[in-house]
Amino acid sequence: MLSLLRAELAKLVRPLVWGSGLAISGFCLLITSGGANNARSALASPKIPSVCDASVTAQCRHVIAAAHASARAAALATSSLAQPGEIGHVVAGMLASVPGLLLIVLIAGGHWGGEWGLRTIRQLLSREGRRSRVLTAKWLTIWSAGVATMLCCWLVLLIAAPLIAASVGLPSAHAALWAGLASSVSAIGRAVLVLGLFAAVATAAGTIARGQLATTAITAGAMLLALLLAGIASIGRLSPASFVQAWMNFGASGYLPTNFWSRFVASGQQLGQVAGLTGIAATAVIAALIARWRFAADVSV
Amino acid sequence: MNVISCASLTKRFGSTVAVDGLDLEVAAGQVYGFLGPNGAGKTTTIRMLLGLITPTEGRIELLGRRLPDPRAVARTGSMIEEPAFYPWLTGRRNLEVAAATGGGRDPAEVGRVLGLAGLTDVAARKVNAYSQGMRQRLGIAAAMLGRPPLLILDEPTNGLDPSGIREIRGLLGDLTADGSTVFLSSHLLAEVEQVCDRVAVVVRGRLVDEGAPATLGAIRRRVKVGVDPADAGAARRLLSRWPVQEMNGEFLVEHDNGRDVNGVLAAGGVIAERVTVEQPRLEDRFLEITTREDAHAVIAES
Repeated sequence: MLSLLRAELAKLVRPLVWGSGLAISGFCLLITSGGANNARSALASPKIPSVCDASVTAQCRHVIAAAHASARAAALATSSLAQPGEIGHVVAGMLASVPGLLLIVLIAGGHWGGEWGLRTIRQLLSREGRRSRVLTAKWLTIWSAGVATMLCCWLVLLIAAPLIAASVGLPSAHAALWAGLASSVSAIGRAVLVLGLFAAVATAAGTIARGQLATTAITAGAMLLALLLAGIASIGRLSPASFVQAWMNFGASGYLPTNFWSRFVASGQQLGQVAGLTGIAATAVIAALIARWRFAADVSV
Repeated sequence: MNVISCASLTKRFGSTVAVDGLDLEVAAGQVYGFLGPNGAGKTTTIRMLLGLITPTEGRIELLGRRLPDPRAVARTGSMIEEPAFYPWLTGRRNLEVAAATGGGRDPAEVGRVLGLAGLTDVAARKVNAYSQGMRQRLGIAAAMLGRPPLLILDEPTNGLDPSGIREIRGLLGDLTADGSTVFLSSHLLAEVEQVCDRVAVVVRGRLVDEGAPATLGAIRRRVKVGVDPADAGAARRLLSRWPVQEMNGEFLVEHDNGRDVNGVLAAGGVIAERVTVEQPRLEDRFLEITTREDAHAVIAES
């Protein structure tokens, strides 16, 4: 099994994986930069109602002071989030939500669906006929590519985010540089599990689609459908997207977004973290059963 | 000992019968040719041997193990149709990946098969820069990884130039000298005739003939006789004891001994101008068999 894993990891050394990883890291950088700039702009010109533009009434003075205080609080929160100790929340949120899903979709399409497109699946199976091992190796390597990308993003933002926050002129966070690291690590750990779920869905999709584009489409389609279902009040709680939401405990984002997921899940759908974990595990098991069943079929490419 | 043994092997795709009750025995140490026209079920059979598709009925034993058994398949080197590789990896890396997939750990093995396939100089190039012939060689190199006791090769000489074909022919000979068995499907009948110890012919999914290449089909050695046109009538009468055809003023006698034919003509007072024994090529035998089977099928269908 270790030898098979080594072979599968060697196949991941390809432009598609580097490119996807770079794109996600670049996206995280852009989000951080955009969030910091928005917070700085809001701090420079807080949202003040137009009726108070030229007014010097006590009420307006109070509103203006509150707007300045709110903008300063938001800027400080953004600045804190951009510190090395906290930035893990942003990384975990990105990779455990739509950007991470897109990464897994791309990698799974090339790494798993591509085995059919290139017709290398027949060589693969004629060397390792234990199909459950092949499935496991594919799942683990897709997952590991996602985790490796997340760690790269984290490393990039550990260095870049504080610099970005300082360069745009956000007020310096009062907390220590590494404050909140334990919480960040916890979020990263939870995101690792979500990436495992995305990889399991992608692995199952590959056995149904048997092609690069189709694997990409089915994985993305399945998870986007889960997000759509999560937005429906009556059944949303049973959607895998709600399980992810509950497990990650995504909250509302400030200027620096911490996920691209919670806005799709209907409010009132919040499950507990244990229920979220159970749902994620159940979804992964269902994906594994589908993959095993579909992969037992004839390979005739 | 048989390394491949199939009994009543059948594969249906819906109402289409791709392989129909195939019985096959391949003894160890042979180069075994597997022939048939397009759509005869050769590749389907090979896929069943490699565990890629499941037979609808029947039994397969590979290297003494009854399929499905991944251990037997893992000990078989194979190349199915056009070999496929990961184009972003080099030739050497592709072989390393293939070796690791099969659990191989000997780093020298990749170098050995690269050398055998004549690819050492281009091993560091990415496969997407390889020519068709180089890919074919790389496919054969991959099949030889780990010195498997059985090689199953589907059209191994596709895309190779004449010198490449000759090299592969030599390579197959070396492999059997090492004790490996080669199960070979090819359209190059002249090659099959030269390298194969035994040949099976499948038509419409059924095994229609099997044996040494020289014994296949109904066509046997024929004696071609040329006589003076004035003696043609007498020759026709004398040779009628055998099936005989006249073609361009010559007689084609379905008999394998020229001396017998000449003796009969001489006893009857006819002096033959030319007597030559014709050895039919595998191609002739193959065409005779497949045409006959097609005719049978048409009659059966009508």
